[in-house]
Amino acid sequence: MTELFLTVFSAAFFVTIIRTTTPLLLATMGGLVADLSGALNVALEGMMLIGCLTAVIVSVYAPWYVAVGAGLGAGALLGLVMAFFSFRLKADIILVGFAINILAAGGTVFALALATGGDKGTSINLQSKAVPSVDLSFLDAIPGVGPVLTAFLSGHSVLSWIAAFIVFAVWYFLFRTPWGLWLRGVGEYPAAPEAAGIPVNKVRTWSLIVSGALAGLGGAQLAMFNYVGFTRDMTAGRGFIALGAVLLGARHPVGALIAALLFGAFEALAVVMPGLFNEAPAELIRMIPFIVTIAALILFSVRAQRALALRGVK
Amino acid sequence: MALLEAIGISKTYPGGVVANDGVNLVVESGEVHAVVGENGAGKSTLMKILFGIEQPNAGALMLDGKPVRFANPREAIEAGIGMVFQHFSLVPSFSVYENVVLGSEPRSGIRFERHKAIAEVKAISDRFRLSVDPMPAVMTLPVGQQQRVEILKALYRNARILILDEPTAVLAPQEVQELFVAIRSLVAQGKTVIFIAHKLPEVLEISDTITVMRQGKTVGQVKAKEVTEKSLAAMMVGREVTLRVERKATDQSQRVAEIEGLRVVNARGTEVVAGLDLNVHAGEVVGLVGVEGNGQAETLEAVAGLRAIAAGTIRIADKDATAMSVLDRRALGLASIPEDRIARGLATGATVAENLVATRLNETRYVRNGLLDLKAIKANALQLIERFSIRVGGPASTVDTLSGGNMQKVVVARELAEQPKLLLVNQPTRGVDLGATQFIWRTITDARDAGAAVLLSSADLGELLALSDRLLVLYRGRIVAAFVNTPDLTPETLGTYMLGLSTQTADEMKAALR
Ligand SMILES: Nc1ncnc2c1ncn2[C@@H]1O[C@H](COP(=O)(O)OP(=O)(O)OP(=O)(O)O)[C@@H](O)[C@H]1O
Ligand SMILES: [Mg+2]
Repeated sequence: MTELFLTVFSAAFFVTIIRTTTPLLLATMGGLVADLSGALNVALEGMMLIGCLTAVIVSVYAPWYVAVGAGLGAGALLGLVMAFFSFRLKADIILVGFAINILAAGGTVFALALATGGDKGTSINLQSKAVPSVDLSFLDAIPGVGPVLTAFLSGHSVLSWIAAFIVFAVWYFLFRTPWGLWLRGVGEYPAAPEAAGIPVNKVRTWSLIVSGALAGLGGAQLAMFNYVGFTRDMTAGRGFIALGAVLLGARHPVGALIAALLFGAFEALAVVMPGLFNEAPAELIRMIPFIVTIAALILFSVRAQRALALRGVK
Repeated sequence: MALLEAIGISKTYPGGVVANDGVNLVVESGEVHAVVGENGAGKSTLMKILFGIEQPNAGALMLDGKPVRFANPREAIEAGIGMVFQHFSLVPSFSVYENVVLGSEPRSGIRFERHKAIAEVKAISDRFRLSVDPMPAVMTLPVGQQQRVEILKALYRNARILILDEPTAVLAPQEVQELFVAIRSLVAQGKTVIFIAHKLPEVLEISDTITVMRQGKTVGQVKAKEVTEKSLAAMMVGREVTLRVERKATDQSQRVAEIEGLRVVNARGTEVVAGLDLNVHAGEVVGLVGVEGNGQAETLEAVAGLRAIAAGTIRIADKDATAMSVLDRRALGLASIPEDRIARGLATGATVAENLVATRLNETRYVRNGLLDLKAIKANALQLIERFSIRVGGPASTVDTLSGGNMQKVVVARELAEQPKLLLVNQPTRGVDLGATQFIWRTITDARDAGAAVLLSSADLGELLALSDRLLVLYRGRIVAAFVNTPDLTPETLGTYMLGLSTQTADEMKAALR
């Protein structure tokens, strides 16, 4: 047990949490933007997965930042596709989302096999690149706190820093710019922005594009930092956990950040615990985020029901 | 030269309803121009065309003498036209100022300038005497204030012409007066107002010119000074209408509903019904009088089983119904015509036929072996459409294509298809035209004459005085006065109690509280 405590309160564990949280956080921000515009993006999972594979394959031939951009672009494109089917062709957005998820699960394996010349499981024989980590060891020079700062702040992925900035950017966009007002208005009561001459579907289309881009970026982090290389179904439900984090975070960027950190922490535990407890199967530990999500959602709906009952709605 | 002119406008909706058929409208600058007509006459359709929401199949619009076309509301807004719909388009959780500026926000760079927005909203609301606090979320405001926000929205976008579609239908009498003050101040500052309403006294009070529509055509345009309520009504309906119903003598000895110590607490924790005792007998109409928000609506909802109560008992037909489900209450003979037909009375996306059987799906007449009997449902619809003269394409039309008055008739038809024991009625003729009002009054009175106990609430004192046997005035959730309805009871008498200016003693009330 002491061993667990030592691990949990170590700087290395903090770095692990940031690593596991980053892809989730990016997808969560994507989920948040889409959800607030009233276009629930259930395809985060598939967009992330395609982002992973695109980033890996492109990184074989191009510098890492081009690969990251490709992952992001793939997600954005899928967002556009989703918008096209649901707003132009009026298909049900949830069904379109699931279609993308199914397409991603099968399509990535197919594309992987083409790219590797037959391997349907991993991209192990592709020379894919990693996202560099940011080395802040110069902070050591600060007397006193220097070494601690270095231990906590050094060694994170470039994308982790970008993700932190994105949380701020999303918050600023939503609550400080006119378009954020439009987006929230469109999500809450589309008739109002419509009457004010705001193009509702255009706003939703852009949110899905941004949502997909963020999920794709999350995929790039996952396949170019957390792991280097692609494995089939490597997103392992992160896209769905992200949807849970949006709700758990009360549809607010800061709340969503906290929820993503919470889920990231559980995943980090799942990474380190099997080493500490040989008897607890890692699969069991990996279930924790899902159980937390379900518990949190139940808790939320119970609270919402109570609030409704208070208002006299049966 | 007229400011705005519509010439020979025709509009046929997909599905073949001819809503406008060669309509002409001439609006002069700086006037209040009322458009009146029965439900379904095509008033809203004409307004939607003026605002660019619907496109006419034929005809032309002239603004300042020049032909114009609006492909969408944005173009109409740019041309200086603003419209307030009967159903508001406000984002509930947004503050007043956010709603006002939405779509044309003041900005510097990518930043939304909140302070500037707040200041501008304040400035317009001062200038046009539409006082609203810019800060609170609109969902916390009463309907009258929400309407002001809508008007501010149009003014913020520099509307010269303001279209108000049935603005008074949702307002309490005092709020109507406040709205009229605002309209006068708008006109004094050079704005032009187009105003739709059903209540002719209101129309005559506020407007300068009146255009009358009937069945998609303009019947005529008159000066408000030159007509009377009677002549206007005749123009609208094409025949004389009198709004009066004869009530038969009935046996009122049997107590059908007994409400004791009823308390209801709302979402914000305030007590809206504060210990109410009242009984309703077979063959009588008990009218709940009061300024809106004094517990009438909550009382009716509590009796209908739609609202949780904090304390008290409700007995219907000698059974304790306090804890009963809506279905069980209905089985005891309860019927209810709710206040908001769109939110509570109807499933607007479903067909007329489906809505007409929605409360009877536990009857083997319409459901056999768990399957809907479509033939019986259709036959029922055809019969009720005929009996209640609902103007609709057919039983398979969806409810959202009906005009307001006809929607209300669908609710009335469903609830009164069979003789109820206890009938709850809230705002039965809101937004309903003269002819349909007369019809609905007749129908409610017929149910009473046949022995139903009726509990009625309405914002229209004329309606309460016309239909009720007894009147109970509610103020802050309590009964402050009770009257047996006699011809010499006046709205003014009721008014002093409604505003809480005086209260009857228990002795004075006794006679009318049985
Ligand atoms: N979207 C629509 N599709 C089909 N028919 C429609 C539609 N909107 C309105 N109608 C029909 O057009 C006719 C005119 O409707 P409109 O709403 O203009 O009447 P109105 O004069 O405003 O009536 P009310 O006083 O009840 O509001 C009605 O018969 C109505 O059923
Ligand atoms: Mg209308």
